[in-house]
Amino acid sequence: MTDSGTAPVDRLVSMSAHVVARAGADLRDAHESAKLVPYLRELWERRSYIRHVAFNELRSRQITSVLGSFWHLLNPALTIGVYFIIFGVVIKTDRGVDDFLLFLTIGLFVFQFGQKSTIDGSRSIINNKGLIKAVRFPRALLPISSTVTEALASIPTFVVAYIVALVSGTDITWRWLMLPPLLLLMTLFNVGTAMVAARLTTHFADTTQILPFIFRLALYMSGVIFSVDAYVEDNPLANTLFTLNPYYCFITLARWSISAGNLQTDLLVSAFAWSVVSLVGGFLWFRAAEERYARD
Amino acid sequence: MPVTDQRPVEQPIGALLGTPLNAVEIDHADIRYRVYAERHLSARELVGRGFRGRESTEVHAVKDVSFDVAVGEALGIVGSNGSGKSTLLRAIAGLQSLESGKIRVRGDVGLLGVGAALKPTLSGFRNVVLGGLAMGLSRAEVDEKMDDIVEFSGLGDAMARPMQTYSSGMRARLTFSIATLRIPDILLIDEALAVGDKEFRERSLQKVREIQATAGTVIMVTHNLNEIRETCSRAVWLDQGVKMADGPTNDVIDQYEDQ
Repeated sequence: MTDSGTAPVDRLVSMSAHVVARAGADLRDAHESAKLVPYLRELWERRSYIRHVAFNELRSRQITSVLGSFWHLLNPALTIGVYFIIFGVVIKTDRGVDDFLLFLTIGLFVFQFGQKSTIDGSRSIINNKGLIKAVRFPRALLPISSTVTEALASIPTFVVAYIVALVSGTDITWRWLMLPPLLLLMTLFNVGTAMVAARLTTHFADTTQILPFIFRLALYMSGVIFSVDAYVEDNPLANTLFTLNPYYCFITLARWSISAGNLQTDLLVSAFAWSVVSLVGGFLWFRAAEERYARD
Repeated sequence: MPVTDQRPVEQPIGALLGTPLNAVEIDHADIRYRVYAERHLSARELVGRGFRGRESTEVHAVKDVSFDVAVGEALGIVGSNGSGKSTLLRAIAGLQSLESGKIRVRGDVGLLGVGAALKPTLSGFRNVVLGGLAMGLSRAEVDEKMDDIVEFSGLGDAMARPMQTYSSGMRARLTFSIATLRIPDILLIDEALAVGDKEFRERSLQKVREIQATAGTVIMVTHNLNEIRETCSRAVWLDQGVKMADGPTNDVIDQYEDQ
């Protein structure tokens, strides 16, 4: 046995505390993924990562544009302008809608919030390959971060929605306060879809290419740019289908919050159910492939 | 700079205690994986093949390998290219599934590979912050350690430059430095030091010895046999996935070189 730099007994004494600490852990199977509770704890310990990434991303988005933060309000306003000209003035899909501008604004912004969150989530793993290879952390951190970033980045668009409501003379009611909690609920839903999209992208790289088309289809099926009330009222099957469409639920509830209409409890129940299913199901499905994400 | 290479390697704490306490137990590990023609299959190809999947060849990377690594031990794995060394490390880290057999670990495992840029567009500083936060450190803890990291990496002014402007050696230095922010119980080093310069390698090996001094376990794969001689008390030789030798470093390396 070779002689060490320090006497073995001294080393033993100085190391005993470390050994006791390290020996505390039990042997476990290297391939058994972290149990649910430790995994969630590790995620929670990294909440400052989410904050850091979100604020840096928001800052960099502002720095890169000349008009600065003003652009964050102008961009959604221009988007609405384009859609309003096409669908309200040219194609006239505004039949049966009292205030088409507000109708379109809320529908489009809520829908785009879901769309952007999912598409950003689909890139969250492949965009962070370097980090994944260099650092050990629960990978669910990445789609969660991208969704939180998108939620914060969407705040100006909803400010624009309130402005549009004011300008078009909508009464301010207590219901206006219900939009933030509704969007918070939708953020939970978005975390789930972001996780599903993130895992799908590691199976099929084309996911990021296909998603915009899926959302384009969903745009027309969620009552964003035209009212579906006419279909829903006489047709129980259509009513059921729209109630099962989470985007339709969130959009209609947001319209209830800002403009008018009765609160449809079945839509509220559906939105809650979708949020739970998406968050829990998306998380479990994402985590089941945890070891995939570190591959080349 | 004084030559510290002749310093005798530390014995694992298990040997001193007389009762080996294992950090890693590899029990008849057998690993096969499929290598695909391309990483991702596009939808068109998927349809074109009638959903039969990609063309692939099977690699039998690790064949019935068994050995234990004691807590506080530094083990070197030697072998030529394609001998299954990296695959075995990935399996210990839980990133590669086994065909048969079992690998058990005690504590958390970290795998350090050849330095990839964490976020290529961000500066060295920002990468340290990002890496530290992803490891679960608080912002204050990262800031507190920043000076040490800058000094340890020896990158100096380059820390302010985007990581995409770094040479492979500089990337490796930064990635290793970031990894030292939070040392896992079992640290796996896969050629991570190979591209760094001599001075940085020396500092890294010193770090590995420090890790051992706190009863941390290190398994390293490198083609630089001197690094293993300097750092590891024990070595394992793999050849085409088969364990050829296992024992005191010098004996194993002599056998490997005499083959």
